[in-house]
Amino acid sequence: MAQGTIERPPITPLDISSVFSNVSRPIPTQAQTPQKIVATFQQVSKTYTNGCRALLDVNLHIRQGDFLFITGPSGSGKSTLLKLLYGAERPSQGNVVVDGQDLNRLRGNKLSLLRRRIGVVFQDYKLIPRRTVFENVAFVLWAQGFTRKEIHRRLIPTLKMVGLQDKAYCFPDELSGGEQQRVSIARAIVGTPPILLADEPTGNLDADNSWQVIKILKKLNAIGITIVVTTHDEQLVRQSGHPVVQLRNGRLYRQPL
Amino acid sequence: MLRFLTKSDYLLRETMLGLQRGGWMNWAAVSTVTVLLFLFGMSLQASWQFESLLNQFGSQLEVSVYLDTGIEASALKSAIETFPEVTRVVAISKEEAWQTLVSEMGLSDIQGATQQLNGNPLVDELKVQARSSDEVPLLAQKLTAVQGVDEVLYVDEAVKRIAQLNQGLNWLSFGITSVLTLTAIAVITTTIRLIVMARRREIEVMQLVGATSTWIYLPFILQGIAFGVVGALIAWGLIGGVQQFLAQLLAQQPDFIQFLADGLQLSSEKIVLLPLILLGLGSSVGLMGSLFAVRKFAVR
Repeated sequence: MAQGTIERPPITPLDISSVFSNVSRPIPTQAQTPQKIVATFQQVSKTYTNGCRALLDVNLHIRQGDFLFITGPSGSGKSTLLKLLYGAERPSQGNVVVDGQDLNRLRGNKLSLLRRRIGVVFQDYKLIPRRTVFENVAFVLWAQGFTRKEIHRRLIPTLKMVGLQDKAYCFPDELSGGEQQRVSIARAIVGTPPILLADEPTGNLDADNSWQVIKILKKLNAIGITIVVTTHDEQLVRQSGHPVVQLRNGRLYRQPL
Repeated sequence: MLRFLTKSDYLLRETMLGLQRGGWMNWAAVSTVTVLLFLFGMSLQASWQFESLLNQFGSQLEVSVYLDTGIEASALKSAIETFPEVTRVVAISKEEAWQTLVSEMGLSDIQGATQQLNGNPLVDELKVQARSSDEVPLLAQKLTAVQGVDEVLYVDEAVKRIAQLNQGLNWLSFGITSVLTLTAIAVITTTIRLIVMARRREIEVMQLVGATSTWIYLPFILQGIAFGVVGALIAWGLIGGVQQFLAQLLAQQPDFIQFLADGLQLSSEKIVLLPLILLGLGSSVGLMGSLFAVRKFAVR
């Protein structure tokens, strides 16, 4: 696991890709043969216990190195789709398979271990108010049992990547919305997960900040991380030029590029 | 090794953070445990002291058996030794008893005394040691029934009363301890649950980033155990203080009471055992309380 990287010599702070070297894979290009599938939805339906129907008969394959946009109006089931991917919800019907593991049957510690391989950027950031930026990001590594030394080694390059190295000792309420969003991205990627899910990462941001966030995600995709982003911002999607699927009333539609 | 250090580093830090956030609730939990363990420790000690007091009156576990005239003590001794309640039998012939009596009365001329009374007036006697105070009355009954026994004497009442008192106190302390144990567990559960609630956001994030349940909840469980351990230490200190105070009070009393107080001294092994028992009970109460607090949250 990630602890294996402790022995490596210290790196120069700017060399981000070396921090993420344990996920580096050939950069996907259009011409390449299809990559390994990292996540699959098989005929997945989700109805919440209060009878609210979120997803209906969804089929989706996500391949290694993909950068996938999921669009749709609010309430169309985008967040539910991501929640199914990181095991916060379970499908009412069908199977969700991530990294070869059926999430229906995953409980307890096995689910925890799978979640370490999935970074999540939450719509509401989910930052801890009484901890600094540094602590909020380091929190993930503490929770996963990393050593102090390794936490320090990873933190600076990660904060640099999202452009927050100067705000490490600020508290979340001292940051702007865009900065808070970038903290939550830093927290999602500091554990070097091969899969990154971002739920409306640009939802509360202006165009400039949104584009900055997308640029960070593109950079992460370039070093081999599989990225799934939900958004209702069609403009942004067109600008970025990545594959898009659309959710309408719980059904999934593939959109031509 | 590195992993262990990382773990204990994390656990220690999180436990301290939890205690910091507990504020006055910590005090509520610790003081309940202290009261519980103080009362429990005092009653345990009192029970031990009664026991040693009983042992000091150990000679009164003894049953004196006076035989019919002409029956020899040594003849019955082996038969009585086979009784299951009996630990020891000493035969005292009437000659020995007479000699002791005469010398105790301060007479120097034993033959003269014997002649005056037309021979030795005493009978042979067996001193029978019972195994425990409970069995003394039954043993006495059995001994009365033996052929050749004239009379059986024992200090029935005193022994019985002390034993009864001890038993009563044991029941009382058992009752109080059980009620207070439940109270202490409830208070610890509430305290830790409040802290868990206050940190629910953090816990949620921890769960989402892949922390295992053990990793999340172990600090809370350690916190509960810390309540128990601190409570036990305070209770032990209080018991020591009370003991010291009583000892000073007794030192000014007349000799007879001091003689009784000697019986209240605990053996050195019990002096070590007391804090260990307090720590054990304290930490298990803390453990139970914190387990109840996180059980509901941990099942996911």
